[in-house]
Amino acid sequence: MNILEIKDLRKKFGDNEVLKGIDLTLKKGEVLSIIGSSGGGKTTLLRCINFLEKANSGEIIVNGKTVFSAKDGEKPQLAPDAQLSFGLVFQQFNLFPQYSVIDNLMLAPKLRSKRKNIVGERETVDQIRERAENLLDTVGLTEKANAYPCQLSGGQQQRVAIARALMLSPDILCFDEPTSALDPELTGEVLRVIRSLKDSERTMIIVTHEMEFAKNVSDRIIFIADGLIEESGTPEEVFEHPKSEKIKAFLTGMKE
Amino acid sequence: MDQFIEITLNLLVGFGETLKIFFVTLAFSIPLGLIIAFGSMSKWKIVSAITRAFVWIIRGTPLMLQLIFVYYGPGLIFGHMLLAADTAVYITFSINYGCYFSEIYRGGIESIAKGQYEAGQVLGMTKTETFFKVILLQVVKRIIAPMSNEIITLVKDTSLARVVTYYELIYFAQRYIKNAGLLWPLFYTAVYYLVFTAVLTLFFGWLEKKLDYFKS
Repeated sequence: MNILEIKDLRKKFGDNEVLKGIDLTLKKGEVLSIIGSSGGGKTTLLRCINFLEKANSGEIIVNGKTVFSAKDGEKPQLAPDAQLSFGLVFQQFNLFPQYSVIDNLMLAPKLRSKRKNIVGERETVDQIRERAENLLDTVGLTEKANAYPCQLSGGQQQRVAIARALMLSPDILCFDEPTSALDPELTGEVLRVIRSLKDSERTMIIVTHEMEFAKNVSDRIIFIADGLIEESGTPEEVFEHPKSEKIKAFLTGMKE
Repeated sequence: MDQFIEITLNLLVGFGETLKIFFVTLAFSIPLGLIIAFGSMSKWKIVSAITRAFVWIIRGTPLMLQLIFVYYGPGLIFGHMLLAADTAVYITFSINYGCYFSEIYRGGIESIAKGQYEAGQVLGMTKTETFFKVILLQVVKRIIAPMSNEIITLVKDTSLARVVTYYELIYFAQRYIKNAGLLWPLFYTAVYYLVFTAVLTLFFGWLEKKLDYFKS
């Protein structure tokens, strides 16, 4: 079964239609990269998937359950806890500056475990800490647990942000240009972490400008231009045998 | 010498009255300012318009006039006094300073990067949780300097309370002119204000250092 299904997603900002009907499916464990030029709508798509923007119409279905649906002119319907199906890693990391690395990871789960009506077992602070420590180990930052974000390099901050997103055990982990704010020599460590997540079969959607990386890590690539999916397929199909003129022009421009 | 000590102690009593205004005003205006700030940032146009108009009136008229209005106003309108002098002073000062603080808060809140709210949202935190656990301390750090300015002004504004018969430090000192022909106690009050603002300055310096461990 598809872990994610997106049906006819549309988004307007004023008169400007940024997404003109996106259909997309994703299987469990699949890694999807979204490429395309700036302003084409790829970041807006990712933000709509994470509910940072509310699409004007369309449906988002996770594990067969509709978590978001909207029709033109009506108030969008968002299922409770829909947010937790998705994790998002931002271009600018957005760590909480006043918390240490470990507290950045623990804050949201701790608040969650204190809520009155939660589904399933209530997690103790010790359990949360243990998970946080394990995830820091995964991203290779165990020794930075008590450091503050301002003491870390950009690459380290982004690895913390990845671990923080994983604390909520999202079904699908999304990345919004995760290396665009980094110095070139720091992108490698972040990309290595993402690759290790692929090896542990995590379902991911990655908006990226790193074509080589997209080619290597993705099971599937979509190219978005003018609010529509112009091209979709395996890395080989998209990069070696592109069909549409737009992507050919985009890829040529990339090489120059 | 005996007279000096006696006057010093007597002025200290007056300064105690001054401090009452200071601390009561802070206790009410600091949270009130947050409510007013939320009001002026409200997405309901009508709420933000009313709040901003209110802030405009309070900031646009003299505090002394507001004191007189709150204390004597009910007497003129209803024919009898409604508030004791100290109550009128506490209310007026709290509202007045609440409005000034609200604008400082608003500036601070609006200066926090949108990404902080978004990070809270995608981590499944509620808006309230995000505000109190993530945003607030960053705002506090950013507004320490303008807040310390305002709070030091408050120390001196307390002297206005005497226009509505609230007997504070300056009033205590002026009695020596009338009753004993002594002028120096009035100038001597400056020492009280200076010592207290020095303490406040040290406190804000300490607080700034305390929050220096993070950058935002």
